[in-house]
Amino acid sequence: MIATIKRWFVCALLGAFSFVGFTQTVQAAMIGTEQIHAANVAAENRARIAAALDRPEVIDQLEKMGVSPTDAQARVAALTDEEAANLATKINSMPAGGDVLGALVFIFVLLLVTDILGLTKVYPFTRSRR
Amino acid sequence: MPGIWLVLSLLLAGCATQTRQLMQQGAANLPRRAEIAATPFFAQERYQCGPAALAMTLRAAGIDVKPDALVPQVYVPQREGSLPPEMLAAARRNGALSMTIPHRLDALLAEIAAGHPVIVLQNLSLQIFPLWHYAVAIGYDLDSGDIILRSGTTERLTMALSTFEHTWSRGDYWGMVALPPGQLPETVDESGVADALVAFEKAGNPQRVHTAYEAALRRWPGNLTMLLGAGNTAYAAGQREAAAAAFRRTVQVHPDNAPAYNNLASVLAELGRLDEAREAAQKAVELGGPWRDAALATLQSIEARRR
Repeated sequence: MIATIKRWFVCALLGAFSFVGFTQTVQAAMIGTEQIHAANVAAENRARIAAALDRPEVIDQLEKMGVSPTDAQARVAALTDEEAANLATKINSMPAGGDVLGALVFIFVLLLVTDILGLTKVYPFTRSRR
Repeated sequence: MPGIWLVLSLLLAGCATQTRQLMQQGAANLPRRAEIAATPFFAQERYQCGPAALAMTLRAAGIDVKPDALVPQVYVPQREGSLPPEMLAAARRNGALSMTIPHRLDALLAEIAAGHPVIVLQNLSLQIFPLWHYAVAIGYDLDSGDIILRSGTTERLTMALSTFEHTWSRGDYWGMVALPPGQLPETVDESGVADALVAFEKAGNPQRVHTAYEAALRRWPGNLTMLLGAGNTAYAAGQREAAAAAFRRTVQVHPDNAPAYNNLASVLAELGRLDEAREAAQKAVELGGPWRDAALATLQSIEARRR
């Protein structure tokens, strides 16, 4: 509940700042490529505001999942706004490419189960439930 | 009973539709076979196919980094693996231009034929019990119907293209390239490359990103993002003359672009060419739009210097 209120407050604040025409630039007077690249300025500001909230959330999530705080910060800094938004919502469900060795264990177990169910007869020691 | 298996296998075979079409009809300009034999190999450690695949692809792009160094950049302990967006970001951090390729088998093969190894996300198991894995696709043969991968602890794994398609489709045909700055992908369009370059600018060394922008401009000389990016990265790399020239080039192609005039003015001012700077800043202010405030600030700082 408090977290939601905080989020809305921060959103409103950032929205107010965006009207001042803040430009996150290469240097004080330069306009950055990222800002110009967006379809339009309003969309870019929205993405910027959303990212300002997504990034700390992703850092938090990564830390909870065992990544060190310094690593988490460096990793999130390299993400685009879109990637950060994507991770913020899907970090638990998105595929995590990891292991091919586990396949052998999995197949062993699967065939054991199907043997027991009487669908296969791979192992000599199994007796089907039928 | 055997009839059911026959029907099942026919149904399953029918799902590898892109393979069948490619093997029968081929594709425009796609050679029947290709292999990037020079792609280095790193055998993966437990759960570390992400770092291994990245290291192989980066090494192929001339970037010398070991899988161990990539573990803290992509590995998520609790998930026992690496996440696709972080794979893209880590490639950029290490100096490669990374991006996903179109979600099609012919695009994958076209990249391989162009000499670009592709990191592919596979679900080696079924939808219900997924086994996610990254491998590097380095070759194929349409006549024998095979794809060649660097995968796990196997340096040269040959897999039936139809089987590969099954595993790859379960991951929504996710594939990424990591190219040395100066090279462009075969199959990604102008807007995709522009997105990738802007992302690269966020994490990469300005000189390297500049090289990447210039290469893209040779293919798409009118692209505004790329023109501005070339200027901004030259500036960030400390090359103000080159930056000024790049912004000049931009306003020649896009005479109504306020940010280009603004940035040109800013650099010219730093170079001490205050009259030219003032002219450019005034143009930026005149053009107005959402950048008017930034342009005004630039103009004011130039006026202050002239006094």
